[in-house]
Amino acid sequence: MTADPYATAAGLVARSAAAYAASIPEDPADEGFFGPGSVTWRLSTDLSSPVAGLRALLMQALHPLAMAGVDQHSDWRRDPAGRLAATSAYLATISFAERAAAERAAARVRRIHQRVTGVDSVTGRRYDASDPALLLWVHATLVDAGIVTAGLFGTPLSAPDGDRYVAEMVSAAELVGIPRRLVPASRAELTTYLASVQPELRGTPAARESMDYLLDPPGLDADLAEIWQDVRDAALGALPPWAREMYGYPAPPPLTDSRRAGIRQALGVLDTVFLGEPGVLEARQRIALRARAARRT
Amino acid sequence: MRKVLAAVTFGAVIAAVALLYRRLARGGAPRLRLARGRAAVQLAVRGGVRYATNAPRLFAAAGEHRQQLRNDLALETAEDVASTLGAMKGVLMKIGQMASYVDDGLSPAVRRTLSRLQDSVPPMSAELAGQVVETELGRPPEAAFRRWDPEPIAAASIGQVHRAITHDGRAVAVKVQYPGIAEMITADLQNVALLRRMLRITAPSQDVDALLAELRDRVVEELDYQQEAANQSLWAEHYQGHPFIHIPGIVTELSTRRVVTSELADGARFAELASWSQRERDLAAETIYRFTFRSLYEAHAFNGDPHPGNYLFHGGGRVTFLDFGLVKYFTMAELRPLIDMVRHLCVDNDPAGFRASMVAAGFLRADAPVSTDTVVEHMAVFYDTVRRRGPRTITGDYASAVVRRFFDVRSPLAQYVAVPRSYVILQRINLGLFAVLGELTATADWRAIAEEIWPFIQGPPATPMGAAEAVWRASRPGRPGIERLPA
Repeated sequence: MTADPYATAAGLVARSAAAYAASIPEDPADEGFFGPGSVTWRLSTDLSSPVAGLRALLMQALHPLAMAGVDQHSDWRRDPAGRLAATSAYLATISFAERAAAERAAARVRRIHQRVTGVDSVTGRRYDASDPALLLWVHATLVDAGIVTAGLFGTPLSAPDGDRYVAEMVSAAELVGIPRRLVPASRAELTTYLASVQPELRGTPAARESMDYLLDPPGLDADLAEIWQDVRDAALGALPPWAREMYGYPAPPPLTDSRRAGIRQALGVLDTVFLGEPGVLEARQRIALRARAARRT
Repeated sequence: MRKVLAAVTFGAVIAAVALLYRRLARGGAPRLRLARGRAAVQLAVRGGVRYATNAPRLFAAAGEHRQQLRNDLALETAEDVASTLGAMKGVLMKIGQMASYVDDGLSPAVRRTLSRLQDSVPPMSAELAGQVVETELGRPPEAAFRRWDPEPIAAASIGQVHRAITHDGRAVAVKVQYPGIAEMITADLQNVALLRRMLRITAPSQDVDALLAELRDRVVEELDYQQEAANQSLWAEHYQGHPFIHIPGIVTELSTRRVVTSELADGARFAELASWSQRERDLAAETIYRFTFRSLYEAHAFNGDPHPGNYLFHGGGRVTFLDFGLVKYFTMAELRPLIDMVRHLCVDNDPAGFRASMVAAGFLRADAPVSTDTVVEHMAVFYDTVRRRGPRTITGDYASAVVRRFFDVRSPLAQYVAVPRSYVILQRINLGLFAVLGELTATADWRAIAEEIWPFIQGPPATPMGAAEAVWRASRPGRPGIERLPA
């Protein structure tokens, strides 16, 4: 028997929750880059957000250079839960923390990116994690995933709110070092941009390996695995068919009303588990109180 | 070793509750099949045992905790309710409440998660609660009542309680259900694919649908306040003027499926009894005991929730009984074997007759290859308080022993005993009543009290409380029993 090449996913929920809770400020000096009335806040607390995260990763990994950077530099195999927790903390920080804290977190990420350079073994091309083109792909897929999955499994955004969200998130792109002029600022621009990158995408072995892991993480307890199966189906169902085909994943069951309800149930259970972790309820209450105070003024 | 994540829990909670109900419903589920749901059964067993000693404290603590209502986070719209309690959360909350019978057998992570879920549901804003009242009663609360306190005084399981004064001057408690919650929970319980898959992990698959149907029935039943109001009215009428038992009356014209208005009752909570004298605790216990068995043997009805949160204490043995959401009415044919069992075992000393009555009731298979001595030995613990005259203290240890015996899948009787569906709810005597009395370490001559109540003896008053009760009974000749509600 060979040793399991990966660390188990045990602790994934607990560590993501801890990172999340620690990233929601107690008493912020300002409302950060988005603020209580923003669509960004609304989507960050939407039931669909775990699916959005998974769908974004599935899209991001299809870019061979983005994937190569992760594959050759990240410690995700050794500590997958830690890697996801760090991402979750970063997103919570730029969404909810005061501006100075968001800028500090972004500066740290930019510093790490400077060391992430190399040659992709599949395409033979050089990559550089600070390359705005790569960063933009990661950014745009995240924004796209939020809109798509909220529409399928959460509270759908109206067309104007979708445009607002894309525009709001330009600030997030700038934080990681993408010049504002390069960043889509409306849904139409986002769609055009995503289509323009599509020819460069492919399901490399590294992409498949990492996503296979993510879709079926070893070490998940049986019950969480049941829930994860629905989250995974939801993410696969939210992918464009061409993207799913690049991985060679079979199409998930058709999204009937009852299937959609089932996925929402799974997300509700997952959210309840998350809520059961120390500090998460209080973090959410901090967000809710700020949102409420803003609504009143 | 795989690390167990908190998540597991929900499968385990659901399976534990479902198996508990299943075991109660058909009792002697064959051992092999139960063994396959090993983890869940262990939960149920451990939970049951520890329930007896710890649950009252847990309940009391939960009750206190719920007093800290987060009005600053109040739900303001039906959408707020949906995002807080939709997508299974309402179902998990309900199931969590039902799991209180196995609560302490769950891992700390599960218990924490369930209690956090409970905490995550803030009250409704005054406006939202007012809208529900208006939808239900046809008038805003300020018009439906002379005075209305917009600030809720307590959380109810899927609603909250407001104080008000009616136009004719009565002080009332108005329980208001979260808007849309009943529909959300019902819809979630109809789409059972997820629950079914989660249950398959721990429960034998062929039983899953039956378990889910059982859970669904129970939960949906508790969502309808009208049922509860009708029950409470009947009981209040039955016990009207009783010297020790008080049941708040229902204001029928101000009660609907989602709003129930009852006379406002105040008193000490169960937790406060810890600081009362043992004499007071004994009296309170005697009242609870009389209420339970008088209701069963004379009114042929049983309130299925002997749990500490459902009592208010006033001293001198006077107790207010709350919450009639789960009431079972019996026919004489259903009661007869239970009465026979008590009589054969405790009065006639007739083990063979006892066994025959058990078989007649469906508790024991007729062909069970076990000796009558074994049957008696196994069952005696349930009757321990009433087999002999004289004062006896019900302790937490006794309550634990009862629950342990009830869940004992290894006993020689286990595979031949069952609890027929119509008696399921009565098992809450074994699981709940003794836990309450044990928590009070109550002492009384339970046998003498029982003899007053047993229809085949109807003995003289055994205590001062019994004497006062006899006076009350004499004052109401020919009063009707609590009759089964028309379907």
